[in-house]
Amino acid sequence: MPVGSVLFAFVIGALICVVTGANPIAAYAGLVCGGLGIGCTQGENPALQISNTIVFFIPLVTTGVAVALPFRAGLFNIGAEGQLLAGSVACCAIGIKFADLPAPILLPMVLVGGMAAGAIWAGIAGVLKATVGAHEVVTTIMLNYVAQWLVRFLIVGGPLELAPGTSKSHPIGAGAQLPTLLPADNSVIIFGLPASVFRVHSGLFIALVAAAVFAFLLWRTAFGYEIRAVGQSQKAARYAGVSVRRTIVLTMLIAGAFSGLAGAVQIAGVDHNLTDKFFNDTTGFDAIAVALLGLGSAVGIVLAALLFGALHTGGAIMQSDAGISSNLVLVLQALILFSIAANFVGAIRRGLPFGRRASPELPTELPPAAGLMTEAAVPPPGKT
Amino acid sequence: MGHKRLRFLGVVAAAMVFTLACGGTTGGGTPTKTYKIGLVTDIGGLNDKSFNHLADVGLEKAKTDFKIQADVKESKSGDDYVPNLTDFATKNYDLVIGVGFLMQEAVGTVSGQFPNIHFAIIDGAGTDSKGTDLKHSNVQSLFFKEQDAGAMVGVIAGWLEKNGKAKKNKHVVGAVGGISIPPVNHYIAGYKWAAKMEDPSIQVLVGYSNNFTDPAKCAGVATSQINQGADVLFQVAGGCGLGVLQSAGKAGVYSIGVDADQKDADPSVIASALKKVDVATYTAIKNVVNNQFQAGALTFEIKNGGAGYSVDNLDLPAELKAELDKIEGQIKSGALTPPADIPA
Amino acid sequence: MSGVGDIVHLLFTANLWQATLAAAVLLLLPALGGVISERSGVVNIAMEGMMLTGAFFAVVADLAWHNPWLATLVAIVAGGLMATIHAVVSIQFRADQIVSGIAINIFAAGLTVFLVNRIYGLQDVGHVGPNELLPYVDIPALDQIPFFGQVVFDQNIVVYIALILLVATHIVLFRTRLGLRIRAVGEHPQAADTAGLNVYVIRYSAVITSGLLSGLSGAFLAIGISNTFVPNMTDGRGYIALAAMIFGKWTPFGAFIACLIFGLGQAIYDNNSIIHVSPYLLSMLPYLLTLIVLAGLVGRATPPAADGLPYVPGSE
Repeated sequence: MPVGSVLFAFVIGALICVVTGANPIAAYAGLVCGGLGIGCTQGENPALQISNTIVFFIPLVTTGVAVALPFRAGLFNIGAEGQLLAGSVACCAIGIKFADLPAPILLPMVLVGGMAAGAIWAGIAGVLKATVGAHEVVTTIMLNYVAQWLVRFLIVGGPLELAPGTSKSHPIGAGAQLPTLLPADNSVIIFGLPASVFRVHSGLFIALVAAAVFAFLLWRTAFGYEIRAVGQSQKAARYAGVSVRRTIVLTMLIAGAFSGLAGAVQIAGVDHNLTDKFFNDTTGFDAIAVALLGLGSAVGIVLAALLFGALHTGGAIMQSDAGISSNLVLVLQALILFSIAANFVGAIRRGLPFGRRASPELPTELPPAAGLMTEAAVPPPGKT
Repeated sequence: MGHKRLRFLGVVAAAMVFTLACGGTTGGGTPTKTYKIGLVTDIGGLNDKSFNHLADVGLEKAKTDFKIQADVKESKSGDDYVPNLTDFATKNYDLVIGVGFLMQEAVGTVSGQFPNIHFAIIDGAGTDSKGTDLKHSNVQSLFFKEQDAGAMVGVIAGWLEKNGKAKKNKHVVGAVGGISIPPVNHYIAGYKWAAKMEDPSIQVLVGYSNNFTDPAKCAGVATSQINQGADVLFQVAGGCGLGVLQSAGKAGVYSIGVDADQKDADPSVIASALKKVDVATYTAIKNVVNNQFQAGALTFEIKNGGAGYSVDNLDLPAELKAELDKIEGQIKSGALTPPADIPA
Repeated sequence: MSGVGDIVHLLFTANLWQATLAAAVLLLLPALGGVISERSGVVNIAMEGMMLTGAFFAVVADLAWHNPWLATLVAIVAGGLMATIHAVVSIQFRADQIVSGIAINIFAAGLTVFLVNRIYGLQDVGHVGPNELLPYVDIPALDQIPFFGQVVFDQNIVVYIALILLVATHIVLFRTRLGLRIRAVGEHPQAADTAGLNVYVIRYSAVITSGLLSGLSGAFLAIGISNTFVPNMTDGRGYIALAAMIFGKWTPFGAFIACLIFGLGQAIYDNNSIIHVSPYLLSMLPYLLTLIVLAGLVGRATPPAADGLPYVPGSE
């Protein structure tokens, strides 16, 4: 099914190319070369392309998990972006303030700090959902924007700004930086290039561990059972003695911690400072597609993150090699989302595309649709 | 009549700049090698109606004059700067151009990794994470004195106010910036400084839209300034600033464009402050093609034709023309120096 | 020059409220669309994408045909087509309505810039001439009313249309049989179906209407307030409209009041050349206020009962 959805998106994307006079074969060849380093004709270095893909892959895995976990509880976390920003801010603030501390102390501090900040950001949505039933989709969208403006405030004339007019923060201390996998040395030549161009960093392991923790938490712990129970039916979960409110709040806290970790790892491993790029960052939104395409399983998320990382890296190569705007990647991403969500592939296979005649079963891969009116949102008796 | 001749003069001047910039080597002195030039835009993208677009104009111009292969990469986010620059560098491009001061750190990093590749950066230098110029021997910084261009249009605004030739003549003019960052504030600094020099009683309103892409936001700030009595408005906000020009047109007051000649954007545009990113890009490419690449800063200012102004939808009075020529001469000679920071 | 006194002084100028109303209308149109769509039970967070699409096609059409009315019609249809995708995916295929909404927004952001590149190459999109824009119209006599006349009757034509649509939406939703049906479908689709209503038709119409309204707002933005297309020029307005809809508790006039509050914040900020206000706090204001409303501090915000639930015939 997911493979079909991706194929469906690429077919429609090719049609859009043809209709607008672009060559889809050249476009996709550029994407494959750029994303995977396969079939390059313009002198791209395959190792470098794969390295760049992995750099984008790392935060997608961690934020993908942050969307997938609440999904299992029937919660839709659109706020991974805001939580990621909160994590980046905390990582930066701590990494700047305590810049002189040695790595064994400072590195855990910035990572845990990022997780805590992300957890708080998501926790606001979780608490509002559990107490007054405010829908998490809406609250997390609002929190995304608040986080974005907070970053802007901090680095454009605010307390974290390096110097007036620079629009970026001070760099974090050396002890707060995650080491790269290859030596960050311009004089060492690996795969025919200076080793420092390969930006793959040790955050890769953190991301993979995060995916493993997600799977373990969900399938091997009592809390994971509670998450799934709440996701299946809040009513049934309550009968089974599960505290729905507690589960909602805890799930959001954990999800926020994952996103916050993604932000902290991005700062510690790649950027080393907060810059204007965080105003336009879309990792947390791409994560929604990653979680959906990965069917909410750890392996699926990793594979989906790889696809989206490759698409991101490939877009730039497609543009310079084939002359086709890298915005085609956004179009493809949207088409993948439509296709997964609507299960077009299944509908085509059943040959029953439309209307009331369609078989009444819902796409089984999605958790029960998160209706805006959840049980927690029903006003308690006597209070209107 | 007058302004038509002036426009013609402007075209001649622009042609001269290009001819000078070409240095006469266009004919085909070394036809053997095809030079590869890579341009990396910042997140504004090529259709930003501002400096990314102008950089591409310079690139296209170079393509017709020299034997070059020109490729462009649009950066969708700040995450793309390093990979985009690196890709061109690994493919042994002869010159990799980064557009915009947001790319400083990325150019600093990648130029260190590829000491044999030539880099140029517009509006910045190759820096480390603390913003210090690394002064790599393979990086050319293309800086602009935006305050020169700002000063020239400031002269126009101030002169119109002093002589009662604007629409309301309350001695109030305005400037609408995108975000309060150096390239924006340099323009406004020169503008305010020159307007005050022309008309000491003038009040220069300075506002920011906090945005570079949404014309409606800039239109709001512009309308507020018009309500305060401003009748000449200078936009320094890229695509957002187009809203300034249009609000001025709607209110029947004058406006001033930025970066490129924006006379077509609205009939209210009487002049534009020019930052000739196209000339800078072209010059950098020409230098590489002629084997004359030079590391370090190259500043584009009014003196070398890298900054300036155009008179657009305005019948330029002879006295104003004389005043503009006088000030331009004094800036060129160094007798007057427009400030880089906005004066009080 | 800063201070509370300056802001208070500003509050007594007609200019400020004129600007407030114009800014509010940009949000009101998609917010009304959201109200109609969600009242019928289809969650719509796709107003941003529909509006952006409308803005883009308004400019393309106006540049091609030099007629703002035709261009506005094209923008409305373009918004409606985006909404139709949302409707097909979320009603017909019963996809998650939030996923579909996100996909619409990503799709619009990517497609518009992709098409700019395909149609105009790397060149400037171009500018619509001043006589080919949606006009500003003073209503004779009424615009002479002191203060109020300038605020309400000296506006772009779209402002008047939006105010009429506001009243019309309220009347249709709460005073007509059609409105009753829309709300019935949004609250109890099974019961409505049993009563002989076609849930699908009503939901389709409601969602597409939201696209038409968002497209109109996009046209107002692109060829009313400005005269060209700039990538991502909607700048999150669709999401602020979503906030306004919730803030207004899914009612047209409630949403309008929210739009006025958000518009007022923007209009005050527009005066930053004479008063000092933090752009950050004001930019956060719509989102913070919405969070406060959702937190229940200003009464409850309760959506229609079946909002967000795909309708499966025969299921209970």
